[in-house]
Amino acid sequence: MLPYWTPVALSRDLAPLVVMPVVVDGAELALWRSASGRIAAWADRCPHRGMRLSHGFVRGEALSCIYHGWSYAQSGQCQRIPAHPDLEPPEAIRVPVHRAMESGGVIWVALAEPAALPPALAGLVPLRSVTLDAPFDPAAAGLAESGGAWRGTLAGVAVAVLVQPLPENRCVLHVLADGAATPAALVDASRGVETLRRQAEEALA
Amino acid sequence: MTDPIRDEWYPVALVSQLGPEGRDTRLLGEPVRVAWHGGAITVTSGGRSLPSQQRYGHVWACPGTPQRPLFDIPEADQPGRRLVDVGLVRVKCSPLRAVENFLDIAHFPFVHTDILGAEPHTEVGRYDVAIREEVDEVWATKVHFYQPQAAKSAAGGITTEYMYRVPAPTVSILYKTCPPRPGEWDVITLFVQPLDEELCEVWPWMALFDDDTPMTDLIHFQQTIFLQDRSILENQLPHRLPLDPGLEIPTRADLTSVAYRRWLKRRGYTYGAQLVAA
Amino acid sequence: MILYDYVLSPDCYKIRLLAALTGAKLTLRAVDFHPGGEHRSPAFLAINPAGTIPVMQDASLTLTDSAAILTYVAARSGPAWLGDDTPEMRARVALWLAFAQRLSASIGKARTHDMLQKPADIVACRKAGVQCLREIEAALVERHLMGDAFLAGNRPTLADIACFPHSMLAPDGGISVDAYPAIRLWTRAIRALPGFVEMPGIHRLHDLKPEPAGVQA
Repeated sequence: MLPYWTPVALSRDLAPLVVMPVVVDGAELALWRSASGRIAAWADRCPHRGMRLSHGFVRGEALSCIYHGWSYAQSGQCQRIPAHPDLEPPEAIRVPVHRAMESGGVIWVALAEPAALPPALAGLVPLRSVTLDAPFDPAAAGLAESGGAWRGTLAGVAVAVLVQPLPENRCVLHVLADGAATPAALVDASRGVETLRRQAEEALA
Repeated sequence: MTDPIRDEWYPVALVSQLGPEGRDTRLLGEPVRVAWHGGAITVTSGGRSLPSQQRYGHVWACPGTPQRPLFDIPEADQPGRRLVDVGLVRVKCSPLRAVENFLDIAHFPFVHTDILGAEPHTEVGRYDVAIREEVDEVWATKVHFYQPQAAKSAAGGITTEYMYRVPAPTVSILYKTCPPRPGEWDVITLFVQPLDEELCEVWPWMALFDDDTPMTDLIHFQQTIFLQDRSILENQLPHRLPLDPGLEIPTRADLTSVAYRRWLKRRGYTYGAQLVAA
Repeated sequence: MILYDYVLSPDCYKIRLLAALTGAKLTLRAVDFHPGGEHRSPAFLAINPAGTIPVMQDASLTLTDSAAILTYVAARSGPAWLGDDTPEMRARVALWLAFAQRLSASIGKARTHDMLQKPADIVACRKAGVQCLREIEAALVERHLMGDAFLAGNRPTLADIACFPHSMLAPDGGISVDAYPAIRLWTRAIRALPGFVEMPGIHRLHDLKPEPAGVQA
């Protein structure tokens, strides 16, 4: 298990009540945000029947499985089994919970105690997350490592790229851009990200 | 030498949909061909002719040596019932997970919302489960559940009574309160064809008392229900059904599935099953 | 308005969804597309020689294309859905109504292949489906950057109705939707619209309904 923070999503893309599947170090996780804004990263599996919790739904501060509605509190502890409304769920019914934090408009997850904090990303705004069916080649994209991120320009806009590796040589790029750029320039930068992906995938083909 | 997996009967085609071109399909990982020869249907696999028969609207085949006749559904021959061929649905899941889901009522309010169940009517009361040794089948009886629209013919919410029967490892039969004919049971089945351990084709079939609903509406009602289940079935981990306790946590509402898993293990039916907790 | 309908068809569902959102009254005629193949029967071909669903009949009008049907239902029952606020919005609605045909030809075919065993070049369909989802995702990112939450502008239009079903149902055809955060938020916004109805494979947002009384959330 990797003892550092892996970027898994842009904060903006995980609105309250949203749950999404993410992969960290090969582990499949359900990432979700409660009504009050708290984030959590859990094993993506309901202990009852193995259903993916990333298909579930958030009510208030709890995540429920879509299959039978079993709901889990922030601690991962099952708090309610709708088939037995009067039953206090046993403590053994618990979803494994992982470390998750937000910093610089990015959500980070660590499977083991991280040695360092995520990189500082001052002056940047979240642009978008894209999945590549290819490995990321920063040199081909004209980006260089600086302060924990790959930095450079895309379509003339200063960007920082964070890499989330996926199995089978795929990856997610979480791209942040110059906070002073105009919306039109950010649209160009977004198209620059598309070009970067196309080139990476064509290089692989 | 008997084989608890190969000696079972499996559905391989819908008689009414088997055209002159026949059907190339798969059973337990092996290619199978269903074809017309003269006026008869034959099932072959690897140049070998398999024991086959037509029953309940479907063609049934046995890849091994049948140890018993195909299970009986006496209601299928009862006058006045309409027999509904719902048609195949392919699902990327273990055939055993497909059967187990069919035996489950607690998911109705969340997966079949406002049709087979609705919050706050989520409670599953006590019911009876038994492995009937004389017939070697799993039975669940006295299952009651509140349903907003129990059948196409149901006008409003009712508390429905169910009986579940598992007469073969990849077959489940549901007997259900029949809204237009109190005292009789509607019969709804799930016939599962295991293509591979994690891929199956599901053939729902029904024998109903309902003279009013158009046939297409009956088919669409059942397709709606089953397709609501499909996204669940394709997202359960592990993909194979764990037969040993420990990997999943059942409650009292799951007694039918507990009995089903125990019965599968006792019969040595492990195709699509996971035996040791990962 | 009579709709020749199949419960599992995303193109038929679009019409039912728009009708539910606008309050239009539809008379549904169920077509036994699967397993019966009723869309290839002489009686159905007499209505639509192309043998496709959905089909709408209203008085003397027969429409055999889902974009045309959506346009007609909106014009009759909810003109705001036509998206005529600005020339740009109107053009984007036309763009996405046309784009939806690519979704049917890729994700739609992958889905009937994987689910109902209909013939298709599954690898090509999935590849084209991924490309379609990437284009929707990119367009939504751009609209967000310009301050809009929907495909044609700052409110939902036919553009969204036309592209929503296949975007949700792609996993039915073995095409993952995990990689599209903008699509995720957009489909949630559509599912939260007042009057929204679901179809098999598209679950409703249970989070819109409170936990039943008597329990602490």
